[in-house]
Amino acid sequence: MALLPSEFVGRADGWQPLAGSFHEQDGDAWFAPRFPLVAGLSYSLLIDGVEVARVEVPALPLTPTTEVLSIHPTAGELPLNLLRIYVSFSASMSEGYAARAVSVRRVDTGERLDGVLLQMEPELWNSSRQRLTLLLEPGRIKRGLVPNAEAGYPLTEGVPVAVVVDSSFRDATGAPLLAPAERRYRIGPAIRARVDPFAWRLTVPAVGSEAALVAAGDRPLDRAILQRCVVVFDTDTAPVPGEVSVEQGDRAWRFEPSSPWKAGRHTLRVDARLEDVAGNSVRRVFDRDLDLPEDEPLDIDHVNVPFTIL
Amino acid sequence: MSELRTTASRDGFRVGSPEFDSVGPIAFSPDGVLFVADNVRAEIVAVDLSEDERDATVAQITSLDGRIAAFVGCACEDIAIRDLAVHPLSRAVFLSVMRGAGDGAVPLLVRIAGNGTLSVAECGNVGYARATIDDAPAVDDERQEKYGQYGIPIYHRVVAKGDTAGEDYDVPDFGITLRIARESLRTTTVTDLAFVDGELLVTGASCEEFVSTLRRIPFPFRDEAHASKLEIYHVNHGKYETYAPVRTFAAYGGASGILASYTCTPIVHFPVAELADGAHVVGRTVAELGGANTPLDIVTFTRDDVEYVLVSNTRLPVLKIDGRDIDAQEGLSEPRQPRGVPREELPYHGVSCMAVVDGQVLMLQRDDAGFHLRSCSTASL
Repeated sequence: MALLPSEFVGRADGWQPLAGSFHEQDGDAWFAPRFPLVAGLSYSLLIDGVEVARVEVPALPLTPTTEVLSIHPTAGELPLNLLRIYVSFSASMSEGYAARAVSVRRVDTGERLDGVLLQMEPELWNSSRQRLTLLLEPGRIKRGLVPNAEAGYPLTEGVPVAVVVDSSFRDATGAPLLAPAERRYRIGPAIRARVDPFAWRLTVPAVGSEAALVAAGDRPLDRAILQRCVVVFDTDTAPVPGEVSVEQGDRAWRFEPSSPWKAGRHTLRVDARLEDVAGNSVRRVFDRDLDLPEDEPLDIDHVNVPFTIL
Repeated sequence: MSELRTTASRDGFRVGSPEFDSVGPIAFSPDGVLFVADNVRAEIVAVDLSEDERDATVAQITSLDGRIAAFVGCACEDIAIRDLAVHPLSRAVFLSVMRGAGDGAVPLLVRIAGNGTLSVAECGNVGYARATIDDAPAVDDERQEKYGQYGIPIYHRVVAKGDTAGEDYDVPDFGITLRIARESLRTTTVTDLAFVDGELLVTGASCEEFVSTLRRIPFPFRDEAHASKLEIYHVNHGKYETYAPVRTFAAYGGASGILASYTCTPIVHFPVAELADGAHVVGRTVAELGGANTPLDIVTFTRDDVEYVLVSNTRLPVLKIDGRDIDAQEGLSEPRQPRGVPREELPYHGVSCMAVVDGQVLMLQRDDAGFHLRSCSTASL
């Protein structure tokens, strides 16, 4: 006697059957599978290689409950050399669906643009499996590489695209999404310069207020990194407690203090790993031209941008 | 099933049952320790399989994914073969395999005997050790920065009392206890690992920064401070210095160097000696394999005292490169034909994982019928 998933009956000659053990008690034989049987699958009992019975394991009712919370960047216009997209879900997801269920399409024709997203295996998830990181084909973004020379950039300046998440993306329970999601973008010129926090426009609140401190830059920044890479320090160089948010299409960092601002000189401490959406960081340009001395990488961990509360 | 046991004690190992949430890239040390990357747990688990029963290396298995699916009781499409390694002592083939996805996913280490018999390695009473590869420091790590008036460790946030995701944190100087949870950020996904010259080398991709990091983890595992992280760069045609996550790599030149391939096609050589000294290491780009193609695995073999390199790819067949050409290749300075070292296309398409053992190259090959294990002799290449 042997068991097999029914799909293999007739083509499993010489294969090992389902792992597990047969037991007999009071004239009844029963089978203890080594691994849990799979819901929705049918299994066949074979005696001397002939199928004599088939057992269906009932499928679990899968009610869609998970939705796409956001697609980042949120800017309306992205640079031609966009490097990274984040898709956030309301619950933990299953791996293995990113290549099938997420696409980049032309807005005007709906055409799926193949070769834009890097087919990454393993997929890049955060530890709760709720945020998927998608990379645009780096070989096509980097100057001087054959894919860039031959196929050009993955995106085309002036051709709007939509990032589309299909509802067939499965959550961790195996259920599809409640609904598909998409975000549309215009595509502007490439950005190839370091992120410069000293050029940010600071909106500095008045002393005694609990108004937000806002730092706005010239380009969309990587939201995930931005949320953890900027810290406010007070006159005593202690971190100021408060809430961070990102706004203006990921161009601006907003900080609401949990207590009123004190007078004096403060510092915005920006981690040099902060990147824009094209992978340029405070430290270096994504693919730096060795002939341009202004693009030399900076040997720094962070920069301190001073501001004064009056 | 294949019951794996360890009787000898090994420095830094405990005996028990290592648990996995996932299995990804795998590699052996020469004395039979299997390193398994568990990307869900952000850990590398070293499992002492030095007492695995002496066997032979299987030469060929057709419909390997179907056979594994039938054996572990799932549909063929629910089997994902993640990596392949050959035990250096027993010669048995080991595969890291995921059955299913999501909450119901089952990580498996599948052993294939010389006669083709499959077994699932049961690590019930085996020596093992763990190393973390998570970038986020633990709550009690004193080296990390803190923020806010209560000095919450960075990458942590305050959650409700009793929240199962959190842990209690006694706030220094305030006499209160907060419940804090680690931010679910900054996990590193291991893309490849190899045991080179007594150390575990690990490459990974971050789900945030676009880093190119090579970790050197001394073995036996010590505390994290002994692991070093290097940023490695490559120069495209003498003009642009750049970086990218390493997709796969292999030791080369008797462990004097490594050959790494990226998510963006070039193959770059790094001398291991240089990897020891600096945080900013620039490699020599020796080949570009062309657009719309990503290298999947790199192995080397030696024949008549000449080292050869095999590269499997997403679009191209397996490529063979003569090590003498790599050694003679200056860093690529112009985009031109041929793009770096000469390479020979071998008649093996759809190959992902490879391993070399006893003059045989073992290949996991995919065609319309599924995945198959095939082999060819290095003498025939």
